[in-house]
Amino acid sequence: MSRPPSVIRQTIVTPIILIVVLLAMAALSYQFGSRAFNRTAIEMFINIMVVVGLYAFVGNSGLLSFGHISFMCLGAYMTAWLTIPPVMKSITLKGLPAWLLHTQLPMWVATPISGVFAALFALIVGRIIMRLSGIAASIATFGLLGVVNNVYSNWDSVTGGQGSIVGIPPTMNVWIGWLGAAVAIVTAYLYSISRSGLALRAARDEEVAARASGVDIVRERLVAFVVSAFIIGLAGAFYAHFLSIVNPGSFYLRTTFITLSMLVVGGMYSLSGAVAGVVAISVLIELFRDLEKGVSVGGLTVGLPNGAQEIAIGIITIVILIYLPSGLTRNREFSWRNWPLQRRRLVPPVQTALKETN
Amino acid sequence: MTAVLQIVFDALSLGSLYALGALGIAAVFGVMRLVNFAHGDFIAFCVFAMLLPSVDATAIVFAGQLPFYLLIPLLLLVGAGLSMLSEVIVFRRFRNANPATMMIASFALGFVIRHLLLLLYSSRPKSITLWPSLGLPVEFLGAHIPMLQVVTIIITLVVLAVLVLFLKHTRYGLEMRAAAENFTMARMLGVRANGVILLAFAISGMLAAAIGLILATNSGTADIGMGANVMLIAFIATVIGGLGSVPGAVAAGFLIGAASVVFQATLPHDARVFRDAFVYGAVIVVLLVRPQGLFAPKSAKQRV
Amino acid sequence: MRFDRIRFDRILGILAGAATLWFAPAHAADEIVVGFATAASGFMQAYDKPAQDAALIRIDEINKAGGLLGKKIKPVFADTKTDQAEGAKAGLAVLDQGAELVIVSCDYDFGAPAALQAQAAGKVSFFLCAESIKAGIPGVGPSSFSASVLAAVQGATMSEWAYNKKNARTFYRLLDSWTVYNKGICDGFDWQMPHLKDAKLVGSDTFKNDDASIASQITRIKSLPKEPDAIMLCTMMPGAVSAIKQIRAAGIKSMILNGSGVDGSYWLNAVPDLSNFYVPVQGSVYGDDPNPKVNEFNKKYKDVTGGDPSSQYVYPGYVLIDVWAKAVERAKTTDAAGVVAELEKMNNEPTLFGPRTFTKDLHHQNQGRYLIVDTEAGKPKVVDQWTISEKIPVDYLVSK
Repeated sequence: MSRPPSVIRQTIVTPIILIVVLLAMAALSYQFGSRAFNRTAIEMFINIMVVVGLYAFVGNSGLLSFGHISFMCLGAYMTAWLTIPPVMKSITLKGLPAWLLHTQLPMWVATPISGVFAALFALIVGRIIMRLSGIAASIATFGLLGVVNNVYSNWDSVTGGQGSIVGIPPTMNVWIGWLGAAVAIVTAYLYSISRSGLALRAARDEEVAARASGVDIVRERLVAFVVSAFIIGLAGAFYAHFLSIVNPGSFYLRTTFITLSMLVVGGMYSLSGAVAGVVAISVLIELFRDLEKGVSVGGLTVGLPNGAQEIAIGIITIVILIYLPSGLTRNREFSWRNWPLQRRRLVPPVQTALKETN
Repeated sequence: MTAVLQIVFDALSLGSLYALGALGIAAVFGVMRLVNFAHGDFIAFCVFAMLLPSVDATAIVFAGQLPFYLLIPLLLLVGAGLSMLSEVIVFRRFRNANPATMMIASFALGFVIRHLLLLLYSSRPKSITLWPSLGLPVEFLGAHIPMLQVVTIIITLVVLAVLVLFLKHTRYGLEMRAAAENFTMARMLGVRANGVILLAFAISGMLAAAIGLILATNSGTADIGMGANVMLIAFIATVIGGLGSVPGAVAAGFLIGAASVVFQATLPHDARVFRDAFVYGAVIVVLLVRPQGLFAPKSAKQRV
Repeated sequence: MRFDRIRFDRILGILAGAATLWFAPAHAADEIVVGFATAASGFMQAYDKPAQDAALIRIDEINKAGGLLGKKIKPVFADTKTDQAEGAKAGLAVLDQGAELVIVSCDYDFGAPAALQAQAAGKVSFFLCAESIKAGIPGVGPSSFSASVLAAVQGATMSEWAYNKKNARTFYRLLDSWTVYNKGICDGFDWQMPHLKDAKLVGSDTFKNDDASIASQITRIKSLPKEPDAIMLCTMMPGAVSAIKQIRAAGIKSMILNGSGVDGSYWLNAVPDLSNFYVPVQGSVYGDDPNPKVNEFNKKYKDVTGGDPSSQYVYPGYVLIDVWAKAVERAKTTDAAGVVAELEKMNNEPTLFGPRTFTKDLHHQNQGRYLIVDTEAGKPKVVDQWTISEKIPVDYLVSK
């Protein structure tokens, strides 16, 4: 934050708008929604955390990452290790070190630890992977996902292997979900206006110029990688409390691609885009789920066949991308000035995620 | 000696599959910088095209009963058709889009195909009997090698030879190579962009059909997710081979197949479940050593 | 620019509108509601649907015979979409409709979220056919049960049977590390092996269900000095077919022992003339079950659904309603406490598909009568039945 207060004053509105709108959604869901609907809302908030975390890295660095869901895995399992009653752990997770085996922490302590754990891991692997750029970096993050998934799926004595581990207190509700999303948004916002965030975006758009101006790209990327890992680690912890069981299958390709789709649909270079993408897709999914259940028309229930929802979502995603290739927000941020979207030093979406190779 | 020979054949046949997959990805990537994540679902689609849609457990074989000289061209046609259709309907609209946007669009397309298959056929694997005689082992220098392994390797070599001849000695091949080298320049020089790209999609689709046939013959089943694994490895192979390099993609496909087989053969028992972690770890190491890929084409140099 | 403001208004509108759709319908007092939080779409659909149909057949039978405690059973449904988060929602949805019993997906991982909701609401939950020890007390809580038999029993049954009846002495263990179910079969096999005097494990290997080829695993078997008597193959669909086909294609003739997951004739023509292939089943779908009532059920199933049962995994759905209804009759209530107490009193309670025992420690079967199906020249038929001589200890299972 080298250039406060002007940067803050110009941009602070974005996170405030996002957080307030989400608060309104939480309140509406709490007031009018059934229990099942509230779970949909919580799931949406957790997805917002993940996608905002992804944005913190992808949006600022321009590198597409396939590996961030492994941080969700790390966070979720760390929370499981910290919050499951020791009696249960001593049966199923015998390989845990003694100090961990006998610990049981409340959610408020375990969750930040999970985030920090994911961030530390990112710091270590990031030092290696962040040396790469372009698609090589994307594939390396993909390799990371493969390694983490394979290890967590088979290290039976510590992770319970392929199977689910159970016993995580189900303490999530829609307010905590909202709080998590707010923390993620604020963290990502603070990073993107920090010195490192600005430098990284400069490098994203004009690599050579940024390098010439003394930007250490590898270092700034690493910072973004760690920040985003922290956010997604938190999301993993919340997810564990949300389902109260974790298994490695939840943190693999499906989740990776769905969250990436949400980010790209919203607009991968803006924080508002990250949030808008999740909200839009979540609402659409819910809408089609209701259509699948059937709508009563004059005593007759008409419904889509089961499974039509996924097909519809896929087609809608393609259509959105055809007409809005840079996402619903066109990579802009919500703001008061020029309500509702302000061009904030908008750059044309450069092809940095997969560096043009010719 | 026979054990080594066996391992060599295992590695070659698995590598062949990955190489064919990598070729399919590289063909499209070369001309339009698209990593087609729907490729795996193209593979599954081609296999399911041999069956009549039904959610019953027992498969109703439709085209699978045709003699091979009809079945193979038909399936290649299905693959090419699906692939070209996806280009005309979807990818053509992403010509100037960010590669990440295209990638997500291809993933969404694959998602649609997969769930369509799921809706039509249900998730239970269906059995397909193709050429049971290929399942018989042949003896080769004392090693028992399933006929199909040999056939797979031969098919891959033939496909490679044909592709090389096509690229080097025909007008279309020349255009494709030019487009892969520098698309804008090629267009200026009179290469019809849509034609070349459509051709690349057709080739890619036919390769998907070929993999589908091999997988179906090998496993005897049609399963919704059957192309996913090959697609992922092929994607990785395309990158570590050097994006845009066709021989690189093939070589990397063989390398990953070999690495997988060798890890499986040499790791101690308790570590064998971690085989994939070793393979992915090796991929990261290769990238660190050669970030541009093992066989990067000259055009891959970043320009200012 | 205005477009974006409209969008947000619209989102709020949709949210509010959707919320009003979620009022739970009240149910009549003369009904007992049974909720199915199962997969009606996605991967698990093909496995949940048949067992669910069997459960509905039993419900229909009970209703026709006058109902349960004088009330009709009313089934309600919610789709889990083969997704864990959706599973929990489906559980809540059926609970909100007044479900007294929540029936959840076949697989532990996909069924548990809904079962946990039922547990939290103080209701009994039943897994349609999960075969992990976790599907019950350890993984959900004291009101959760599974209608099937533990995977470990299948591995133990096959090895003990092959040792006694087929004189198998050398065993090879091939594990597909994809799922807990697969590991469960091999756990049972591992437990049984030391009990079999001078039986020898000559090798062990792993593969993954979606491996494009298992050639290197087969090479390892072939490099043994002598072909093993039996291969314990711990895997499931869809990879099982591929593995079996490749093993036979490589010319390995050893008997192949399996879990119940490969039961069914629908895939057999993928491996022409498959022989020396053995599967444990709770009941036969091939029309030759020693119990004629099973064959009658098969016929009824065909009348209702239009197709023959595809595999033995149809049957646990029937068993589930059967034992639950008996417990409700005996407890004279549908309250969880009473029903659970009655279920836990069941000791070798006869059902169409083998006896069922539930205890305070285990809401699953750690011993069970299995029919042995032998496939010769591509034709499966029941050749024997076997019950393992000893129960597999609960401690061993939980620690795995």
